[in-house]
Amino acid sequence: MFIDIACNQLKKYNQNAYGDYFVSKRKPDEERLIAVLSDGLGSGIKANILSCMTATMLLKFVEGDQIPIKDAAEIVMNSLPVCQVRKISYSTFSIVDANDEGHAKIVEEGNPDFIWIKNGEVQKPSFEAIPSKTHKNRCMKSYKIELNLGHRLIFCSDGITQCGLGNEKLKLGLRRSGLIALVLEKLKEEPEISSQELSKYIVHQARNIETDRKPKDDMSALVLYCREPRKSLVFTGPPFNQKNDAMYAKEFWDFKGKKAIAGGTTANLISRELNIPITMDKTISIGKLPSCSYMEGVDLVTEGILTLTQTLEYLTNEQWDIDNAAGKLVQFLLDSDCIHFMVGAKINQAHYNPNMPIEIEIRKNIIKKIKAVLQDKYYKKVSVQYM
Amino acid sequence: MAKVNVKVCLGTTCFVMGSSNLQELIDLVPKKYGDKVDVAGSPCLGLCSIDWEFSKAPYVKVNDTVIKEATVEKVLEEIDKQLK
Repeated sequence: MFIDIACNQLKKYNQNAYGDYFVSKRKPDEERLIAVLSDGLGSGIKANILSCMTATMLLKFVEGDQIPIKDAAEIVMNSLPVCQVRKISYSTFSIVDANDEGHAKIVEEGNPDFIWIKNGEVQKPSFEAIPSKTHKNRCMKSYKIELNLGHRLIFCSDGITQCGLGNEKLKLGLRRSGLIALVLEKLKEEPEISSQELSKYIVHQARNIETDRKPKDDMSALVLYCREPRKSLVFTGPPFNQKNDAMYAKEFWDFKGKKAIAGGTTANLISRELNIPITMDKTISIGKLPSCSYMEGVDLVTEGILTLTQTLEYLTNEQWDIDNAAGKLVQFLLDSDCIHFMVGAKINQAHYNPNMPIEIEIRKNIIKKIKAVLQDKYYKKVSVQYM
Repeated sequence: MAKVNVKVCLGTTCFVMGSSNLQELIDLVPKKYGDKVDVAGSPCLGLCSIDWEFSKAPYVKVNDTVIKEATVEKVLEEIDKQLK
C-alpha cells in the first residue's frame, strides 16, 4: 500500500507569509510516513514562526522514535507559550504517523477534527482525550486507527472550516460538516482523485466561499490517500559492462509499471537488445531540448543529460505544464508513486570535450539530485540501481 | 530511384554542438526535393563515442555517408551529390 500525501495552502489576505506550516517526511527504510500540520496564532510572519517551530519540533521528536508520539505531543502541548493578548496557546497542531501496513497514530490539539473517509462514508474513530496538566484550556486527542486501500484522511486548519464566516449564506462558516459534504461530493465525481488534486480543490473551494475571494485566515488542506502504488522505471545510461546489456534490457522489459528511457545511446541499446524500432518526432527540438522518440511498449523516450538537467530544474522550481521532453518526464515522474532508476555507469568521453557547456553534469550526480527533490518535495518513494 | 535518407543525430553531444540548429532541414528539404529525400532525427548515431576527434560533432548521416561538423549547407551539398 502507498500513502499519497499532499498539502495545499493559502495565505491570509494581505499577508506576505503563511501562518500555517506543513512538514512531512517519508522514511522508505521503515515504510513509514510522518506529517505535521500546525496553525500559528494570528497571521503573517509571527504565525509563520510559531507554526514552523511547533511543526518542526514535533516532526523531529516523532521521527527520532525516542519516546511515543503521544508523549512527544504532550510535552509540546504543555510547553507551548501563552499569547499575552489572547491568553491562549501559541499554536495548534495535528500529527499523523502511518506505515504502509496501515497502522496510523494521530494526535491533534486545537485543529479541527480530522476526517477519515472509508468506502465513501465518514468514520467516527474513538480517541483518548489527554488534558494538559499545566494549561486548563488545552486538551489533545490521541487516535490509533487502521487504514486500508481506498481510505482517505483529511486534515485542515480552521481557516478552511471557518471560511465564509459571517456571509449571508454561511453565517457560521463552512464548518466541518460543510467540508465533509464538499469532499464527499467531489469523491463521487472523481473516486480516484489524487491527494494533490483533492487538497487543491478544497483550498480553492474554501477561497471561493470567502467574500471577494479574500481568505480571512490562513488556509491549509492536508490530504492522505491509501492506494496501490503506481510504479515506474527510468532507464538512463548504458551499463558499465557491455556484456550485461541484454540482461538489463530484459529487466527493463519485464518491469511491471510505466517505463521511460532517458538517453539516446540507451534508447539504441534497448532497441537493439529487444529488437524494437525507434521512431522520432518530426521536429528536431522544442525549445532548448531534443524532442522525444517513440518505442512500442515504452511510455516515454527522451535524450539523456540535457533533459534530465532540465527536469531537475522544473521539479525544483515547480514548473509542471511545459511542452517539451523534460516537461513530459516531469509529468511522468509526478504521475508515479514509486520510482526506480536504473543508472548506467558507462561514460561517454565526448561529454568531456572542453568545448561542451559546463552544465553537462555526470549522470550519477543529476540522478542523486532528482532523487532528493522527488523525495523531499514530492514525497515519492525513489530507489536507484547503478549498473 | 531510391530515396535518400538523412538522419540528424540528436544525442547530447551533437545537440549541444549544433544539431539543434539543423531544425531548418525539416522544412527546407521537403520543399526543395519533395519526397525524394527523407529527413528524420535519431536519438543517437553513436559516432561521438567512437570517433576520437570528439570535437567533430554534430554528425549527420546522408544514407551511409557521415558528415562531420554538419551544417545545413554541408548536408544539402551531400544530398545533391547523392541525387546526381
